[in-house]
Amino acid sequence: MKNHSVRLRGVEFANPVLAASGTWEFGLRFKAVSARLGGVVTKGITVEPRAGNPGPRIFEFPGGILNSVGLENPGLERFRDEVLPEVAALGTRVIVNVAGFEPGEFDRLVGELDREPVAGFELNLSCPNVGHGGAAFGQDPKLVEDITRRARARTDRPVVVKLTANFTDPVATARAAEAGGADAVTVINTLFGLALNANGRPFLGGRNGGMSGPALKPFALYCVDRVAAAVGIPVIGCGGIMDGRDALDFLSAGAALVQVGTASLVEPDAAARVWTGLRRLCRDLGAESWADIVGRTRRED
Amino acid sequence: MKSLRAPVVANAEVAPGIWSLWFEHPGLARACRPGHFLNLKPGPGPDPLLRRPLSVCDVERDRLRLVFRAPGRGTALLAQLRPGDELDILGPLGRPVRLPKRRTVLLCGGGVGAAPLLLLARRLRDENRVKVFLGARAAEGLILTREFSRLRLEVGFATDDGSHGHRGPVTDLVVKNVHPGTGQLVYACGPLAMLADLARRVKGAEAWGFFEERMGCGTGICYCCALPRKGGGYTRFCQEGPVVRLDEVEL
Repeated sequence: MKNHSVRLRGVEFANPVLAASGTWEFGLRFKAVSARLGGVVTKGITVEPRAGNPGPRIFEFPGGILNSVGLENPGLERFRDEVLPEVAALGTRVIVNVAGFEPGEFDRLVGELDREPVAGFELNLSCPNVGHGGAAFGQDPKLVEDITRRARARTDRPVVVKLTANFTDPVATARAAEAGGADAVTVINTLFGLALNANGRPFLGGRNGGMSGPALKPFALYCVDRVAAAVGIPVIGCGGIMDGRDALDFLSAGAALVQVGTASLVEPDAAARVWTGLRRLCRDLGAESWADIVGRTRRED
Repeated sequence: MKSLRAPVVANAEVAPGIWSLWFEHPGLARACRPGHFLNLKPGPGPDPLLRRPLSVCDVERDRLRLVFRAPGRGTALLAQLRPGDELDILGPLGRPVRLPKRRTVLLCGGGVGAAPLLLLARRLRDENRVKVFLGARAAEGLILTREFSRLRLEVGFATDDGSHGHRGPVTDLVVKNVHPGTGQLVYACGPLAMLADLARRVKGAEAWGFFEERMGCGTGICYCCALPRKGGGYTRFCQEGPVVRLDEVEL
């Protein structure tokens, strides 16, 4: 394969591997890794700064983790004025993940950041950490379509909708995002989870958490397979990708791009290694373009 | 940053449930300063998934020493490592202690918390007056006593049951030795309750605590280690610590 790039709404990503939101801060901690990726998705940004949840914020289970960071972030103004200039200099595509508590906050964030040097936006309609927020938006196809349409109206850059699979069929919300004008959907965000301490009380300071890690991969892959078959826009696969083979599986199931999340907590260069591994596997398969790989799960021989 | 591989040289239980592991890595031995920690993968594969943060206890030529409690599955795997086994290490991580000069420095270790204070004491002793106070529930839980003694420092002991040294919390000994306004420094590592007790009782000396308990990444990208900061917000102690001023956080 000579050209590894992937396009979303005309924006070219050098390769299909992105760092997932919330697991890569703003891409600044390991700049050399960020530069080797197709792009990075920032931590979720909200209009107002957020301190996040009290600790503990992380719980480990076999093959995964449960987190309840609670969307800690510097808020729109400080992100734009203090963080973004350095992020823009990374030499990779930067997708800003935006999160809101009112439907209007998403388009406001997109509108204000559209003047900045960003590659695109990912709407975080699915963060399960915050009491009355994300989860509700992402579970309701009508709200998904409405929020997507309003964000769409504020930018010509790619708008990606990150979908939840918590008590909702991501096929329905993916169709809603497509109808609202999304350029891609990310499938899936973390799943709800609860961990208890020995006294039977919630272990995490934020009470509930979001599950991630390799234990989620079969379910995430199942969701990608179904969503990719149901919508015409690209799917970004996410959920438990640890190596090149995992990424290849997601592309086979129909994803055009992938995001690497929890793996980066264990190996800072995990996402770059995923890309190296994926490239090698595709070369060994003799693929001449991504079209040879993407969606081959459902292709007839 | 890439993870490093290093061979285990020795690993033994030095007190009930506390292990001392030596491994060899010339680069890390040169780079590690007091306060640095290493993030260790307990085994290959996805279970356990996360690394375990352990502070550097000591450095001797090309070898580094880790002293740790093994209360969970991950640390139990580290306890099982034998000479010749390979460690998978990310580090050095965290911000090292800025070493003072010509000060009186009080070190306060509770249980296995004595570990990072050994390297600190070693690097402080030439240019400062160092006093060490070690505490445990009972005498058998006091660790590294010979190593500290060999540094020819003033060392005091405290046990909850009075089986060795002062009967009561080790913080009593620190408080007795604080002389307000003389520029003393206190560095402490141990249970959260001990650090909270120090924060409450030490007046007139700058007190710092080592925080290494539960982390996600250890590198500052996941925001999963959070210590409430006075005046609001949280300190990511993997990145802004692990050595944090006790009067700046809520314990």
